[in-house]
Amino acid sequence: MTLSPPDSEAGSKVSEAAVSLKGFSFQYQAHPAVRDLSLEVQNGIIHGLIGPDGAGKTTVMRSICTLLDVAEGSVSVFGLEVNKHRTEIRSRLGYMPQRFSLYQDLTVEENLRFFARLFGIPEQEYARRRETLYSFSRLGPFQNRRAKALSGGMKQKLALSCALVHAPELLVLDEPTFGVDPVSRMEFWDILHDLKKQGSTILVSTAYMDEAEKCDHVTLLHKGRILLDGDPARILKNWTTNIYSLGSDAPRELARFLASQPEVLSSQFFGADLHITAKEEIGATKFRSWQAQCPSLRKWEKIPAGMEDIFLELMENDQDR
Amino acid sequence: MISFSAIVSFLRKEFLQILRSREMLVMIFVFPIVELLFLGFAVSNEVRHVRLAFLDYDRSAESRELVSAFSSTDRFDIVPAEISDTPYTILQSWRAQAVVVIPAHFGRDLNRLDGPALQIVLDGVDGNTATISSAYCSGIIQSFIRKELKSRDPRLLAMLTGQTLTGGVDLRHRMWFNPDLRSSLFIIPGIVAVLVTITSMLLSAMSLVREKEIGTLEQLMVTPVSKIELLIGKLVPFWLISFVQMAISLVFAFLIFGVRPTGNIPALFLFSNVYLFTTLGLGIFISTWSSSQQQAMFFAWFCMVFMLLLGGMFIPVANMPAAIRAIAAINPMNHFMVVVRELVIKGAGFHELHNEFLILLAFGTVCLGGSVIAFRKRV
Repeated sequence: MTLSPPDSEAGSKVSEAAVSLKGFSFQYQAHPAVRDLSLEVQNGIIHGLIGPDGAGKTTVMRSICTLLDVAEGSVSVFGLEVNKHRTEIRSRLGYMPQRFSLYQDLTVEENLRFFARLFGIPEQEYARRRETLYSFSRLGPFQNRRAKALSGGMKQKLALSCALVHAPELLVLDEPTFGVDPVSRMEFWDILHDLKKQGSTILVSTAYMDEAEKCDHVTLLHKGRILLDGDPARILKNWTTNIYSLGSDAPRELARFLASQPEVLSSQFFGADLHITAKEEIGATKFRSWQAQCPSLRKWEKIPAGMEDIFLELMENDQDR
Repeated sequence: MISFSAIVSFLRKEFLQILRSREMLVMIFVFPIVELLFLGFAVSNEVRHVRLAFLDYDRSAESRELVSAFSSTDRFDIVPAEISDTPYTILQSWRAQAVVVIPAHFGRDLNRLDGPALQIVLDGVDGNTATISSAYCSGIIQSFIRKELKSRDPRLLAMLTGQTLTGGVDLRHRMWFNPDLRSSLFIIPGIVAVLVTITSMLLSAMSLVREKEIGTLEQLMVTPVSKIELLIGKLVPFWLISFVQMAISLVFAFLIFGVRPTGNIPALFLFSNVYLFTTLGLGIFISTWSSSQQQAMFFAWFCMVFMLLLGGMFIPVANMPAAIRAIAAINPMNHFMVVVRELVIKGAGFHELHNEFLILLAFGTVCLGGSVIAFRKRV
């Protein structure tokens, strides 16, 4: 690994962590989902759990939401053990599961009211909260519309509103932007940043790497283990591997050729282009000599590392292990 | 601590959803009536309009009178037969279900009292119909002969009666509770039991699994609502709907078939209530084991087929082999079916069904209690 997690010391202040997992392992019917995982979520930040499907994001979130019986390791929320303080933790956190769909045959307002009642929110208090939620979600004009008639983006905002109706201290969102159009995704992240400003702690999972850069802190998960944990801006800045974007008319042929070159650590397709990583700088002379051997290589360009490059490289190293 | 307001908000939500779903409304209010109509009229083991052919080799006044004795009842429809026919060709070609063969000299032998003979040939494939029509035939033939002999000489009748009936004992049959042997009277209480089962078991299981399928159950689990509140909120609507369906079917059973419960109606509702504990409990069990509505449907129908076949809906359990009767004894629908029939047809009171009540109560306690324990607010 080219970078040590920069925030590992800062995270040790236990009293400030909203969530703390220590040596947590979990398996579904002998199928390990999370292995010996330790993680802290600090108060008042947006913490991203980043990873592909099957990385263990949902398991981590469910354990935090008191939906699993934690047998190995410990999981505590607000300093309370999840196995012992389910009811208290549940009343203080808001959860939006992966398949947020709510009650399609109820209206926006009826969905909100239902969840408010379950949390025992008095009528006047609810009326006040509802207006706040309408103002940020802009669902007010649609309050009498059935949920099934909402667009994907609006459904997502309604689900978020339902998770927020009892003003939770911690918000746990499992892939909230999955399957939502890019404009709605951007709006959604703006809402999350507004919520953070108002003091909420947000744990959000995503498989979209571009969203990782919108978090204050990210944990990269792969196969139930942590690949990297830290502040995304610092991770990107300190990433020392060189990344080049190569253009080719026959990218597959080029990829095969590059696999035999000792300078190239890894190569990945990015749309029509090929991204390669290298320990050392690769000069123009080297590229020209490659071009001579593999004429389909058209152009090359050094690019700053994105989260996706970092993730893919770490994942590749992880598989070698 | 059970929060009343959480339960109320659940009930409100469930009823909003049910009332907005056209399929559910049809299922609740139209299905009972359709089932009553179909099963009440169609599922009948009454034997009427049996196709009957005569092979009259005698062609006498007596044989013609015998044929006309059969035409005065709606039990038989007389179909024509050629003299070239045999009972075999008639039954095989499906023209008739029964054939009466009148041999030559039948009229002569009858007049001489020289052992007049007749033959009835029946299509035994449908054993029930064959047995019953055979009995009807014999009855008609006997009364024909009595009448014939009486018109000649009353003393002949006395002689004949003495010969055929044992010791001259006059045997009379009386059918109680259902004097006309109407099968609707037997079937309709059965339909009530089946409807109550379907609504409470299948619909409640489906409703719980739907929440699982669309992901709302996970969201509900993270609320402070306890599983008891959640289950009460989810099940009470189906409990109420079962009673509404029962009332609808009883009203329509009266309007269409004139079947009126002769027993204690509050007792009927009390028994149904206890029975619903079992079926709602099974509904929860099914939802705990299934992760999709298809799975729940499969499990529920698996239970339903077993409950129906061993429940005495069509075939009385008392007619089954001992081993099967033992299995049927653990079928709650079987006990409920007995109760509904006793209450509706026989006008039984609560005290006569005391044992059945205890059995149903035991089933209810085990099923509901067990399923509530098995239902977990975890993923």
